[in-house]
Amino acid sequence: MRAKIFVAGLLVVCCAGFVTAQRGGGGGPQNPFLGNTQAIAEGDALYHKTCTTCHGANGGGGEIGPAIVAGDRMDVGVSDAQTFNIIKNGVQGTPMRPQGLPDSDIWKIVAYIHGLRGTAIDSPLAGDVAHGEAVFWGKGQCSSCHMLGGKGGLTAPDLSNIAGTRKSSSIIDALTKEQHRVFGSGGAHLRALPTMDSYLPVHVTTADGKTIDGILLNEDGYSLQMIGNDNQLHLLDRAKLRRVVVEPKSLMPTDYDKRLAADEFKDLIAFLTRQGYKVPSTGRGGGPAVEQ
Amino acid sequence: MGLLVLCVALSAQVRTADQILINPDPKDWLTYGGAYNSQRYSQLKQVTTANVSRLQAKWVYHVDGIDEGEVTPIVSNGVMYISGFNRLDAVDARTGNIIWRYQRQPASSTRQRGTAIYGDKVYVVTADSHLIALDARNGGVRWDVKSDGGNTIAGGAPLVADGKVIVTGNRPGGFIQAYDAETGKYLWTWSALPKPGEAAYKTWGGATPAGAPIWLSGSYDPGLGLLYFGTGQPNPQWTGQGREGDNLYSDSIAALDVKTGTLKWHFQNTPHDVHDWDSMEVSVLVDAPPGTRLPRPSAGSGRPELVEGRKLLMHANRNGFYYILDRANGQYLQGTPFVDKLDWATGLSPEGRPILAPGHEPSVKGTVTCPSTAGATNWPPPTYSPDTRYFYVVAHEGCGVNTITSSSDPESPTAYFESASDPWQAYVRAIDAFTGKRIWEYKAVRSNHYGPGLLSTAGGIVFAPEQFGQVSALDAKTGQSLWHFNTGDVITAAPVAYSVDGQQFFAIMSGTNVFAFGLSDSR
Repeated sequence: MRAKIFVAGLLVVCCAGFVTAQRGGGGGPQNPFLGNTQAIAEGDALYHKTCTTCHGANGGGGEIGPAIVAGDRMDVGVSDAQTFNIIKNGVQGTPMRPQGLPDSDIWKIVAYIHGLRGTAIDSPLAGDVAHGEAVFWGKGQCSSCHMLGGKGGLTAPDLSNIAGTRKSSSIIDALTKEQHRVFGSGGAHLRALPTMDSYLPVHVTTADGKTIDGILLNEDGYSLQMIGNDNQLHLLDRAKLRRVVVEPKSLMPTDYDKRLAADEFKDLIAFLTRQGYKVPSTGRGGGPAVEQ
Repeated sequence: MGLLVLCVALSAQVRTADQILINPDPKDWLTYGGAYNSQRYSQLKQVTTANVSRLQAKWVYHVDGIDEGEVTPIVSNGVMYISGFNRLDAVDARTGNIIWRYQRQPASSTRQRGTAIYGDKVYVVTADSHLIALDARNGGVRWDVKSDGGNTIAGGAPLVADGKVIVTGNRPGGFIQAYDAETGKYLWTWSALPKPGEAAYKTWGGATPAGAPIWLSGSYDPGLGLLYFGTGQPNPQWTGQGREGDNLYSDSIAALDVKTGTLKWHFQNTPHDVHDWDSMEVSVLVDAPPGTRLPRPSAGSGRPELVEGRKLLMHANRNGFYYILDRANGQYLQGTPFVDKLDWATGLSPEGRPILAPGHEPSVKGTVTCPSTAGATNWPPPTYSPDTRYFYVVAHEGCGVNTITSSSDPESPTAYFESASDPWQAYVRAIDAFTGKRIWEYKAVRSNHYGPGLLSTAGGIVFAPEQFGQVSALDAKTGQSLWHFNTGDVITAAPVAYSVDGQQFFAIMSGTNVFAFGLSDSR
């Protein structure tokens, strides 16, 4: 029965041509507006009226509430029914209060959030995937820095699950726009110390005159962590360094739409938007029971 | 000739991933147990009994998104790897700065207890039973395999032995599996539950074997090619009727051939267990020093037996007895209680089998038994110091009440309670490793449940965290507390020792934070 509902949902999604995530499946009542473009647009308006103040535009996190779309909180209210319950009933002990909206409005908001939560793997873009793979390993020179499927470089993020963590539009932006990085909404409070994911080139000269070039992984006022062009980690004390130069921009080219032919670019995107997996439905706290 | 010398020099410098694990550099902590022998003994001696009072917190690393950390980190070449289900954080072990983080969605807050390293790979187990190899330098996924047969991998730290990643689990029953550490290729499975037709199947009284979960890392003797893992309790755990017999291979120490996964020998600590006394407690491998004599097995008499040079296995069990076995063949050599509150057995037979005291079967009205189900000790690992020749263990004095709701229906509900009139108490106890004689004890005030694991060092220190948040440095010879620090949260993990750039560190997870300690004036 569940499989039938899943297939039916998928059909609606495909026909509507809207980017949605199947991770919204889960248990509980089904979202009546899944893939309904008009309702999702209304949900967008309702979200920005009701939710943005706390959770930020596009659910990226705000001054009061956590991110509900991106990052490691993607699992919060992972099913549509859970999200509905949170909006309707609130979360005890937090500023998240019952919103007092009609159920139909809540479902519209849920449909909008559902769409926000989708990533590229849920609706990969069309193209010649095999050709795109050849571009990745060949003309595109992606693997000189990026690893994928256990092969490739170490000085840029592993792309094995890029389609499971980014939207297609975000992947395209990364290849074509100078400012492609995805940040949370302005004013979002950090709830944990994040990794430094800017991948800026760094050039270090040690006290004895040795130079190390590579990519900066983290730094503070006293130490510096980098991966060198020798593919080794270097963990350094600033007090023992003569000079540290960090370049302001990553080495990631942002003109792939120009340096590749149109079909090469399209096929590369088709390939990249298929690299990843859909989130298993174990939810937060998933895992075998703890024994003791 | 010159070329030959060069080649020899090079081969002396470049060690294979296997050689590094067999003979780890003292500055690293490469496996759950510190080394294959699980002695949790660090050869580092910058911190000694003379200067440990100058120990101070050097950094704290918060692991967000978890409820309570039970992980023992590993440290290799100045990088600390802190694992969870679906997750691995690589941290600069000198400063606590994050270097990279691997997070597979969804985030899991379920407790997980460690990771393993092999060359440039570190390993993650996932909530949906994948085993994943990450590049230790940047966290990139080198390979990702689903567990063979759909078995559920538990939260124990993987162990890399003989180029294989060894993982364990509880479902469908206790099992151990091996995968090629380089490629992820599945190699073998050993099941702790026998199948129809096997001799051990007859020890279940006609019931279908169930339970014997395996959820903690093991030890390994590369010379003998044997892995040593403990197995869990038979199910149902507090109801013995319906599964008459010893219920092999539950509550046992199992020695497996690392090449094939076949059982070389087993020793069952608690036959036909009705108290949930698994044998998960870490087995410590010790080669008997010159002149070592063991008293004859408990019921024996006469002169102590010379065991010099024999390959021994030490194990403090949840059932209250401290065992010494010959790890080459599983022969029982000695067993002594390491707690006072032990009333379910009057001793051990010459073969190491418990001599049962009557009246300790769980009953409808409730049966008091000591130790409790939580055990005289539990999974937090002990340590052995070759300097003192003492075995240090967190011992719990306490009793519990086990109840069943029907004396005829094995499927009826069961329950377990602490004995309210007789509160539990945790101690760090030093035991003469070869006689079982108690040397000293340190009372962990207020601590009762489980408690953290221990480590010992060449500097004469036993590093002893407590359940109630204190971390103490004890004199390994006397048990005297020489330094302490309140971490402010519950500790149920085990400590590690390592060194970077000439500074020795101790690290322990407390609550959701990893604390690292070093001497105040050494950097």
